[in-house]
Parts: sequence; structure tokens; C-alpha cells
Amino acid sequence: MSASSVIFYIISACTLVTALLAVTTPRIFRSAIWLLFSLIGVASLYFWMEVEFIAAVQIIVYVGGIVVLIIFSIFLTQESGAKMPKPALKRALFSALAVLFGFAFTYNLISKHAFTATSTQPFAVNVSDIGEQMLNPTEYGYLLPFEVVSILLLAAMIGCIVIAMKSPVKKVISENGKGVLAPRNEHKEEVDEVTS
Amino acid sequence: MAFIKQYISEVFGAVRSLWKGMRTTGRYFVRPKEIITQQYPDNRDTLVLPERFRGEVVMPHDENNEHACTGCTACELACPNGTIKIITKFDITPEGKKKKALDTFIYHLELCTMCNLCIEACPTDAIKMAKNFEHSVYDRSKLTKRLNKPGSKIREGIE
Amino acid sequence: MFSLESITNAVQDWLNANFSPMWALIIQCAIVILLAMGLFATLGLVLVLMERKVAAHMQIRLGPNRVGPKGMFQTAADTLKLIMKEGLTPEGADKLLFNLAPFVVMIVSMLLLAPLAFSNGFQLWDLNIGVLFISAVSSVSVIGILMAGWASNNKYSLLGAMRSGAQIVSYELSAGLSIISIVVLAGSLQISDIINSQQDGWWIFKGHIPAIISFVIFIIAVTAETNRAPFDLAEAESELTAGFHTEYSGMKFALFFLAEYINIFIACAIGATLFLGGWMPLHIGHWQAFNHVMDYIPGVVWFFGKTFFLIFVIMWFRWTFPRLRIDQLLNLEWKYLLPISLFNLLLVTLIAIMGWHF
Repeated sequence: MSASSVIFYIISACTLVTALLAVTTPRIFRSAIWLLFSLIGVASLYFWMEVEFIAAVQIIVYVGGIVVLIIFSIFLTQESGAKMPKPALKRALFSALAVLFGFAFTYNLISKHAFTATSTQPFAVNVSDIGEQMLNPTEYGYLLPFEVVSILLLAAMIGCIVIAMKSPVKKVISENGKGVLAPRNEHKEEVDEVTS
Repeated sequence: MAFIKQYISEVFGAVRSLWKGMRTTGRYFVRPKEIITQQYPDNRDTLVLPERFRGEVVMPHDENNEHACTGCTACELACPNGTIKIITKFDITPEGKKKKALDTFIYHLELCTMCNLCIEACPTDAIKMAKNFEHSVYDRSKLTKRLNKPGSKIREGIE
Repeated sequence: MFSLESITNAVQDWLNANFSPMWALIIQCAIVILLAMGLFATLGLVLVLMERKVAAHMQIRLGPNRVGPKGMFQTAADTLKLIMKEGLTPEGADKLLFNLAPFVVMIVSMLLLAPLAFSNGFQLWDLNIGVLFISAVSSVSVIGILMAGWASNNKYSLLGAMRSGAQIVSYELSAGLSIISIVVLAGSLQISDIINSQQDGWWIFKGHIPAIISFVIFIIAVTAETNRAPFDLAEAESELTAGFHTEYSGMKFALFFLAEYINIFIACAIGATLFLGGWMPLHIGHWQAFNHVMDYIPGVVWFFGKTFFLIFVIMWFRWTFPRLRIDQLLNLEWKYLLPISLFNLLLVTLIAIMGWHF
């Protein structure tokens, strides 16, 4: 066994063990941390395969983004430090069955696939190639998905701003016909309550 | 447009004020001569204390072993925490009159907060603040001091 | 001429001649680990002393001057004290995560050392996405802080961790954008390529005013990301006692403290590499004679000189400015730094496309 495969097995074992811990630990914050280590394990597998760009993106998106988001939402929940109660036996049984089925299904698929060793050399991916492919309008280019995703993100951002924005102060028509700002009374508070 | 103009001027104003602060600290950094730290136990001989430093209350005596205290107890009354205790006696003046005079000026250094109220209260400037600050002793009773020297008497002409 | 590359090559040749390739690799790894740990320990000692001295001189004081000549062994004595101290784990803390957090923070700083180029050919790992690797790995450091704050089971620690998280996540944006503006100019993410592109002048000079603006934004964002004053809300002594490391003592505290200074060093080294040319000596266009004179100063000296200059600037910030409030902090990022750096990025791209830089 070469040093490279030893490293592969170590990384895979770490990833799997931490993934298992993430779903079995009764404490929710620890579960997030184990998930983090599992994701880092996947990233280090990418590094092992020498596809550094994917690895770095994996770390930025999943570790730096999503796990931090998860941790923040855990911080904001009640009783984040308390141990969760043990699941009922029936539920545990069914989830074990589901896991077993999923494992059998994937194992079946993988065992039927004939893996052949490639003769091609490991390819060095240039970052500028990735960038050009991303903005390529011709066939096999990713310009359309890229733009669609950016429009999706823009929509999400505008949605956030609309939700976070304060409602404009209502204008009350006074007796002499001029629009004046509503005085600080229950009217405004009502408006605030509705929007929040 | 006005908004953008204001935005840019805000940014420039912020940068300018930050630079001003940095220039001040930078100037101190490059001028080590201005350092005011006193390396105390090493420079006992050359130690420079500020003008108004308050170390302890003392009563100056002149060469004839005379002080200016009339024993009026203004300082004792002014003291907020009972640091000063004045014991008076009665002198006989040459004219044969009885006159109140200072017998013992007791000063409890361990109680003193160096608030300077006694010195301000004194009508004859008999006491003042000294700059000595090395007061540590092994026995607390040593901190109770008698300020007028033995055998001293009030200076002529002070009422 | 003095060069570290010849030393490393000699070591490699000797190892390959005397050992099998696998053992040669393992010995090289051991040497690298020893060097990295030595560098970290020395940096910790030097930077803490430097901070205290700089602070003192800016406040017209003398600073530590009793232990050793001019107080040089002060931090060594402090470290000795910290080693002697008991490492307490508070009751009610999540023991596993509490003890894990300082190591996570430290490992992240160690990983960031990998792509740094100390001198010509003296670099641990010249991977082709160097700059991306740095911004990816540095985003993990926030996890260690969140972990420490949560596991301490202390409200001050939790508040400090939350603040620090919000701060690092938001300032990473403008730091990333200002890094990208240099990547656009250099046309590569690889550290060695970026340094080589500054052969005829550093980017801060070649890139006109936009490069200077992104340099300033980078320095501000990096100060915020390393949780230093004026952005030290995460450990604001007067409000949160010590923020996320309130409950830490002894060597675990020392690891946090060391990681903070290592992070400053690494951030400043990245700044020096991107904007001031890393180990590249000061070259001006085609003044051959001047460039040759500058080449006589070894690259390591240039690298450490620039890095320590930037560290000094960041310390200068710390001892000049008062701490920002949390809303001012977020205002600064979202209303000023981010729009300016986005606009600046457009300008830089225009310059790069039109080839207007020198």
C-alpha cells in the first residue's frame, strides 16, 4: 500500500466517522461541529485528488458559509446546549432500516459499475480556463447557468432587503388638505406591528 | 448627485480625521525624548516630581525651631476622616495673659487621603504638603506622627 | 548572492542521495514542521514584545524594560508563566469543544502558512489557487472562535463569539474584493506568479490610485478580521471582560493569544505579497542599475521588512483609534467599504483590460 492510499484511507475514515457522529450525537451544537469536520474531510479528499479549485470552493461555500450559518441559527435557538431526548425505538428502527436500504442501493450500484483505471495523466486545471469555461456562450459553456444562478441570487438579495426594510411612514391627510406625517401615536405602532 | 457628493466628502473627512490622529501618535513614536516615564527605584537621586504632588502633611520649622501654628484646630475641623488631632495648651504671655497655643500636632498618615483640605483651611500657612512618598514601614504605629518638633514654639507675631 | 533556495536544494539533494524517496519525504516534512513551529514561537515572542513597545512609545511611555536588556526577555518570561498555570475547564462547559477550540484556531493559522513565499523559491506549497486557498482557509478560523465562545457556557463568551462571527463574515467580503483587484491586475491566483508580475514595480505603484484604494481597504478589512482594535468588539475588555476567551487560562489561552498574532503576521504577509511584491526587491521600471543594487539585499529581508512594516501600521491603528460600536462597525463595512471596493474593482478591471497599468 502506497503512502497516497494510506492518506486516502485516513481521510475517508475521518470523514465517515465524523459524519456518523454528526447524526448520532444528542447535542445539536456538537452535531454542527462534526458536520464541519466531515465537510473538511470531503475538501481534503479533493485536495488529495489535486483538484484544488473545487476543494477551496468546497471550503468557502460549505465550511465558511453554510456551517457558520447553521451555527448562528443554533445560537439563536432556545436550549441549544441541552441534550436532545433519545428517539423512540420505533423511529430509530425505521431510520436504521432507511439507512440500510440506502446503503444497499448505493452499494448495489457501485458494485455493478466496472471501474477501469484511466490511462490519462492527472490534468492540471488552470484557473483562467475555469473562468473562461464559466463565461463561454458556445456549446459546453456555462454562461446560461451562470447568469440564471446570478439572477436567482439577486432575487434572493432583493427579497431580503424588502423583508428587512422599514415600512414608509403613513401620511395622514389633515383637515386643511396638506399631507403631514403621522404623529407618533398608536397608528404608527399598528403599522409596525403588521409589518414585523 | 448631492447624495454622492456628500458621500465622497464624508469619506474624505473620515480619512483626514483618522490621519490626524495617526499623526499625533506617530509623532510621539518618533520622539523618544518626550517619554515621561520615571524609572523610579533606579533614579532616586534625579527623580522629578510634579509641582503639586502631595505626599504627606508636614509642618515647616525655621532655624529657631519655630513654627506658625496657633493651635486654632481649623485643620482638624476641615479634615474629612479624622486624620489630624490637635492638643492645645495655655501659654502665659509676657503681659501675664493666658493664651491658647499648640501642644502636640498628631497626624495619622495611615488615614490621610492627601485631599489638601487642611492646608487650604490653615489661616497661617503652618502646614504644607511634602513630596516624600516612601512611607512604607513594618509597624502601623510608626505612621502616627507628631508634626511639631519637641521644644518648638510659635513664631513671634503670628496670631 | 545569498539565497535560501540553494540551501533547500542542497538539503533535498543530500536527502535523496542518502535515503529512499519515502523517507526523504518524511524527513523533509519533519524539517518543515520544526521550522514552522520555530517560526511561530519566535513570531509570538517578537510580536508581543513589539506590540508592547510600540504601544508604550505611542503613549510616551517606555514599555517593558526590566527582564533582560531593554526588556527583551519579557515575553519569554510571560510564556513561562503561562506554561506553569493551570488550564481550567469551567463547570458546565462542553469539555470536548472547549478543549478543541484553541487547536482549531491554531491549525487554521498553520495552514495559512503553506502558500506564503518567504524568498525566491522558498515556499512550502506553490499551489495554483494560492490566493483562493488563503481566503478559503481563513474563513474557517471563525468556527474556532464560535466554538470557544459557545463551549465556555458563559454569556460574555457567547456575545463575543457572535460579534466576532458577524464581523469576520462581513469583512471577509471587502478583503476578498480588494484581493481580487490585485488578482485581476496580475492575471493569476498563484502566489509565485503574482510576485513575478511585480518584477518591474510593485502593484501599489503600478496600479495607480485604484490599487492604493484597495490596499487601504485591505488593511482595514484585515484589521477587522484579526479582531484587533479599533475592531476588537469580540474581546472588548470593558464590555465583555475578554470575549470568547474569557474562560480560558494557561496554555489554552496562550494558544489563542499566539494565534491572534500569527494571524496578524499572515494577513500582513499576504498584504505585502499582493501589494508590495513579497520578496521582490524594490524595482523601478527599467532602471537596470538601480534594480541591480536593490537585488543585493536578499529576498527574506525584503519580505520580513515589508511584513513588519504592515504589522507596525496595524499596531499604529490599534494605539490611535477608539473602539467602534457594533452598528458603526457594520455601517463602515456595508455602507462604505463594500460599495467603494465594488466600484474600485470595476476601475481596476478597466485598467487591466485597457492595459493602462505600467
